[in-house]
Formats: sequence, C-alpha cells, structure tokens
Amino acid sequence: MASTIAGFLDRHYFLLRRLHSLTGVVPIGVYLFPHLATNSSIVWGKLLNESKLPAGQLESLGIAAHAGVETFQHEVNFIHSLPGLVLIEIGLLWLPIAYHGLLGIYFAGTGRSNVDRYRYQDNWRYTLQRITGYIGVLFIFIHITSLRFGWTYWGLMPAFDPHAAASSTAQHFQRSTLGTTFIAAFYLVCVLALVYHFANGLWTAAITWGLTVSVHAQRRWGYVCGAVGLMLAGATVASVIGFSRLDIDAARQIEQVMRNGGAGAARHVEPGASNVLSASPDGRDR
Amino acid sequence: MVPPTTEALQARSVRFRIKRQDGPGRPWRWESFDVPVEPGANVISCLQWIAANPRTVDGRDSSPVAYDAGCLEEVCGACTMLINGQVRQSCSCLIDQYAPKDGDVMRLEPMSKFPVVRDLMVDRQRLFHALTRTKAWVPIDGTYHLGPGPQDTPQRQQVRYKLSECMSCGCCLEACPQYKLEEHESRWDKAFIGAHAISQARLFNEHGTGNVLASDRLDAMIGPGGVSDCGNAQNCVKVCPKDIPLTESIAAIGRAVTIHSIRKFFTGK
Repeated sequence: MASTIAGFLDRHYFLLRRLHSLTGVVPIGVYLFPHLATNSSIVWGKLLNESKLPAGQLESLGIAAHAGVETFQHEVNFIHSLPGLVLIEIGLLWLPIAYHGLLGIYFAGTGRSNVDRYRYQDNWRYTLQRITGYIGVLFIFIHITSLRFGWTYWGLMPAFDPHAAASSTAQHFQRSTLGTTFIAAFYLVCVLALVYHFANGLWTAAITWGLTVSVHAQRRWGYVCGAVGLMLAGATVASVIGFSRLDIDAARQIEQVMRNGGAGAARHVEPGASNVLSASPDGRDR
Repeated sequence: MVPPTTEALQARSVRFRIKRQDGPGRPWRWESFDVPVEPGANVISCLQWIAANPRTVDGRDSSPVAYDAGCLEEVCGACTMLINGQVRQSCSCLIDQYAPKDGDVMRLEPMSKFPVVRDLMVDRQRLFHALTRTKAWVPIDGTYHLGPGPQDTPQRQQVRYKLSECMSCGCCLEACPQYKLEEHESRWDKAFIGAHAISQARLFNEHGTGNVLASDRLDAMIGPGGVSDCGNAQNCVKVCPKDIPLTESIAAIGRAVTIHSIRKFFTGK
C-alpha cells in the first residue's frame, strides 16, 4: 500500500506539487477574503450601516439597534441562499482543504528546520509556514466540525445556527465551558496563524510558479502579500472582538424581529423560515 | 554572517574545539587543542599547527585532525566545514575575526549533510552526482569541428558569469532545511537535488550551445527531488560564499518548468 502511494506520488510528482500550491491560493486562500469580510461585518456593519429595522419595534423590546447583527445575518442568509451550497462546500472548500492539508503535512515532513543555527528572518518564515500549517489543519477540522456540523465538543464549542447567525456565533465564543477569553484567544491564534500561512504562501507561490524571479520582484510582491496579510489580520481581530463582546440576548431579539419580517429585513428571510426557527433560538437541537 | 572585526591583534592562544570521528560509522567525540595564533592566521594554518603538535588541552597525545583543502583561496570549496556552527570555507576564515582575544574558543565540525570520511573531511559525492542528474555541461563532443558557438550579448554573459562562479562547495546544501543527509547512493536520485544544481541547470540552459539539453534538465527538475522540493527558506543565498543569486535561479527554473510542463501537456514532448 505504502509503495503504491509512493509510486503514484513519484509519477505525478510535479502535478501534485503544483496542485498543492494552486489550491492554497485558489480556492482556499481567496475564500479567506469573503469569509473574514463576512465575519468582521459584525463590526463594520455596525460602524457603516444604520439599522433597517423600525426603531419603535426594537424600543418596545427595550434593546438598542445593532446594524452589525443585521448585516451579518444578511450576509449569512445570502450564503445560505446559494444554489447547491453543499456542492460548493465540497468542491471548492472541503476537498481542496483536505488535499492541501494532507499533502502539506507530508511535504512539511520532508524538511527539518534549522533556525537554531541559521537565524535568518526568511528561515523563521519557512519554519513558521510549517508550524502554522499544522495549526491550520487542526483548527479547520475543529472549526468545520463545530460550526458546520454542530459538534459541540462537550460544551466547549456551542453550535452555530445560520438563522440566528450573530447570536449563535456569539454563544460559540461566550458560552463555552472554558470561557470567552479562552475561545477568543484560540480563534485569534489559529486564524492569525492561517492568515500568516496564506500571506506567506502567496509570496512563495509566486516564486514556485516563476512569477517573481528577481530579488526586487520578490521584495515588491512581499509588500503586497504583507498588506494582504495585515488586512486579513485586521478583519480577524475585529471579528473575534466583535463576537466576544456581542450582547447575545439583544442579538437574538434583533434576529427574531428580522425573521418576523421587520421592515427592510423580511426580504432576506426564506418563506416559512420563521415558523421553524422561532422554536429554538439557541439552535442546539437542529 | 561575517563576525565583527577587531584591530590591534597580537599573538595569542586560541582553543579549538573539534568534532572528531575516526571513520565512517564510527562514534564521534570532542577534542580541544590550544593553538598559538599569529595575526592573520586562518583555520587551515591552525589545523596544520595541530597536525605538527597533536596534543589535546588535557595533555594527551592525539592524532592529526584530518581535513580536506585544495586551493587555499576560496575557489575550490574542498575545505568547507562548520565553524562555530555555521558553514563556510575554512581557508578564508581568519582567526582574527572569530577569536580576537587570548583564550577565545572556536568550534570546528564537519558538514552534517554529507557522510563523514574522517574528522572534518566529508564525502561530497552526492553533490557531484546532482550535477550529472542536471547534465550541467555543454555538449560539444563530436566527430567533426562544430565551428564557433552562437553569439551572445554581454548582458546575458554577465548573468551567466555570476552563476558560473559556483565551486560546488556545499554551503547552500548544508544550510538548507530541505536537504538532508543521504548516505546511500540509491536514494540520491529522489532526494532534493539542492540549490547549486538548480542554479547550474539555469546556467547551462541560458548557454547558447548548452540549451540543447534544456528539456532534459527541466525533466530532472520536475521529478521527485527537483525544484518543487525547495521550501523557500532562502538560507542558500545567504550562506553562498560567492554571492550567487541562488533564489533567483530557483525562481527562474520554477518559471521554466511551469512553461515546460504546459508545453509538454499539449505537445507530449
């Protein structure tokens, strides 16, 4: 068995290596942009948008409007309205991630870090790329199984409900048995590791494919990748802080108003959804 | 990489801590020697002094330390070893830069990526095997006079000249986290070929006559152990004693194999 795999690897070595490089950038890396943009909408939605819900309705409930909750729910509704979502998830996310992760672990095993002897910045970059890769594989597994498949890990990772997007994500952060700080730190470390892995991978992919040959080209492309990384890191920090501090009960009520067809929000909600949803606002039994 | 220099140096005693091994597969040990050092001495001259006075700091009689050396002017690469943990040529390594004070210690070890023959001497055969894998030559053998080679521009010659300075010393391989010790020849063809051979592939592919073998060279670069195994740690270019732009060569070969593989996919050649 092992020799069959080794033989297959040898025969298609170049193709497999280049596919590994490609999948890291497209679709996995590119997916980080909409994903982190959507997540951070809990913050930028509040800062940029005004609430679309009628003010009187929220006032009568005794809660303040939070356009971030509405924006995030709007974004999540859009994603869940995509036709063939599961096929998109499998073809563009899960399979590429599994491929990139498994081959990445194999390839990382072919090297041996020597930063103890050669303490160059680039050597640290190389070593970190491997460490963040391992972290990423572990994190993405936990992330997908908990937020997509509803594994709660014995209360460590409360589940996500796409119909109560903001409040259930906030629960995921704040109602863990290990506390908000732990989950926030966990997400911060893991997602920033992945952002680094993508930014550095984007930089090295340009060398792998031969786009940046000269040292100057590599440096210039490095500035671009650094800017991309900083942007995504900013979105990461905003998302984690936003959901760690969100008022869960208020968010749940806002989502309820949206589901019940609050003005301007009704168009985002699928017909008939409100009946199914209002039953379990915490979403654990779905 | 270059340690700070100091001026006003005098004759002094420097302790050499040397990693010794009596032969392939034998256990290794540390031995220390105190060597009287004159200003301007290099590691090789100190090893010569030890060969004449092989007595350790404990007063025990030992044997001369085996080492490899050739040109003594940093163009042959034979005397490459680890000095204070970093790879470089020992002939061009001046003691004044590393051990300016009386009683300073310098640590000498053989390269770790090649099998040790004895003491500081290693067998770099795999390095040269990589050059045959790459076909790092210009094929001009034939039964008749081929006439003058193709004309070339000075700009392209300049690029090649820098690449041609490679002396196959092995520094880039020693510092590379993707290049590991492979004792057995049977594994050399699939193990990472290394920055020096990738750069030589570029050198001869850029050559007007040498590029008739370009396709063969790129096929070698595509397979297991080829350019894909580079992890972009970029240590190679930093330790290269000849400042050869190895990372640019790796990227250039990356570009060449991208085009080569697409062409191969559509033409089958």
